[in-house]
Amino acid sequence: MTAVSETIAPAKPMPQRRTNLYFVWCGVLGDPVARVAAAIIILLVLMAIFAPWIAPFPPNEANPALRLMPPGTEGHLLGLDNQGRDILSRIIHGSQLTLISGILPVILGAAISIPLGLIGAWYPRLGEVIMRVMDVLFAFPMALLAIMLAALMGPGLVNMMIALVITLVPYNTRVVYAAARQERELAYVEASRAMATPDLKILFVEMLPNVVAASIVYSCTIVGAVVITAAGLSFLGLGVQPPIAEWGIMTSEGRSFVFVAPHIAAIPGLAITLLVMAFNLLGDSLRDSLDPKTRLTLVKHRPGPGGG
Amino acid sequence: MSILSFAGTRLLYAIPVLLGVTVIVFMALQLVPGDIALTLLGRMATQEQLVALRQELGLDRSLVVQYLGWLASLLQGDIGHSISQQLPVTQILMPKIGNSLILMAGSLFFVLTFGFILSVLSAPRFRQLTDKLVVGLTLVLASLPVFWLGIVLLYFFGFKWKLFPISGMYNMVNPGGFGQLLHHMILPAIATASSSIAVVTRVTRSRMIDVLGQPYILAARARGLSRHKIVLRHAVRNTLPTFANIGGLQIGYLFGSVIFTEIIFNWPGVGLLLFDAILQRDVPVIQGCVLIVALVFVLGNLMSDVIVHALDPKQR
Repeated sequence: MTAVSETIAPAKPMPQRRTNLYFVWCGVLGDPVARVAAAIIILLVLMAIFAPWIAPFPPNEANPALRLMPPGTEGHLLGLDNQGRDILSRIIHGSQLTLISGILPVILGAAISIPLGLIGAWYPRLGEVIMRVMDVLFAFPMALLAIMLAALMGPGLVNMMIALVITLVPYNTRVVYAAARQERELAYVEASRAMATPDLKILFVEMLPNVVAASIVYSCTIVGAVVITAAGLSFLGLGVQPPIAEWGIMTSEGRSFVFVAPHIAAIPGLAITLLVMAFNLLGDSLRDSLDPKTRLTLVKHRPGPGGG
Repeated sequence: MSILSFAGTRLLYAIPVLLGVTVIVFMALQLVPGDIALTLLGRMATQEQLVALRQELGLDRSLVVQYLGWLASLLQGDIGHSISQQLPVTQILMPKIGNSLILMAGSLFFVLTFGFILSVLSAPRFRQLTDKLVVGLTLVLASLPVFWLGIVLLYFFGFKWKLFPISGMYNMVNPGGFGQLLHHMILPAIATASSSIAVVTRVTRSRMIDVLGQPYILAARARGLSRHKIVLRHAVRNTLPTFANIGGLQIGYLFGSVIFTEIIFNWPGVGLLLFDAILQRDVPVIQGCVLIVALVFVLGNLMSDVIVHALDPKQR
């Protein structure tokens, strides 16, 4: 769909027909707040990738003489923790697992939800069964289901990820299911059926690109919540295990020393807040720019790089 | 449809969901690595106890039979025995539920009050400074991890300025009194409420902006009603169903946050019990806590549906 309109565009200008990508481009990049959010996320991702090279110290190198020292200590910008480890280095290294445990479950959850939702929308009986199962999963508050699954499978990064994926599937499936149900009624699907296109080809070749947008937007809006949930699981001791650096477990370790050295818990928590805020801002902006109700006004009012 | 019959139908719909919940909590036991009987009895169990429990659970029989047996004892109020405390789970769980519900009620109060005030302040001033400030505030509140906010509140209000107690529900030396309970509850309730305040405000605000754009609001203005009266009489009235709906949905979400605030503020509720059970790998207690929370969640949603139904004439 995207490729077609891009190849047609230079031949004859078609301002009426815009692709979703165009709206994302203008809506998100035309919004200064979203630009800042995107910049923060890109910076954090770069920080995670190049952590071993930019961190001043290895994450677990301890200097017991300087333990609990506050931010601004010579050579240790953000201070040291209860074991004398450099907090800045641990924040930089910890960004890796914090980002992975927030983003990977969302991607895996979407990868399971999209086929589930599509197939459910196509075969009504099966769809009814799938959605009733999802209803049952909805009966658990999100954090609680993840906590129960992670607690029973045993602590650890992989088990935490599995628990988060299972927790996320019902939310995303509902989004895909609703989008696919609408899509199913459209003329092009009927045309494909009339041409005797196999069901699976209609679903995964014709309908998938149109349904995927809804799922992606939804996924972007929940990454923030998933980062918090993942950090929360590590905080409870169910996710990443010490001494590995991760922001949730760093907050948890700092809790025991909050009255002596409040910065140990304050700094990783602040980092989580910043990351989640950036994801939430970007997700909101993305949703607005893809929502047919608001996207035209956004593009009109914002002098975007796409020209508007 | 009258309210009663509506509530009755909704209750009937809730039963299969609750049955599904029990299936999931039962099946979750299969996730535990290793021998189930050993998991349920703990490492201190004797060989005879293990054999007896295996017999009782019917571990040699099919999962369906095991589930039905488990469900039967569940319906009689038997969730199993705690490994760490050697007591029936129900007996440990019951007093904690009340404590958690008290904290939840407190935070729900903050959620509804602040959600309402912030929406009424911001929606009529759409895109003005007040509105932008409120939107900014909801963004911050929605991004704060509850466990961190709890620690921050604890440090400043409890430790540094000594305005509020830092742990528990009552004073250890001289327990009792409703005032003392409120004093202990304020910090954990605010920490629990924060992200839900953001959600409720966002949804209620955008609904109220929609309402304020309706023709009947224009008509009211044409008749010369003050903005004050329009907002309070017309806009608020028509926003209430949405407000009640999103407020009710927070019940489950608050339970997710309560787990963390109870740990940080040492509040003797289900969350703290769950945390201890996780540390001791006390599987029956974990199952009991999850079951109870899911039950409260489903019933809470049902209650809010009934309230929305009562508030919204269009649904009748």
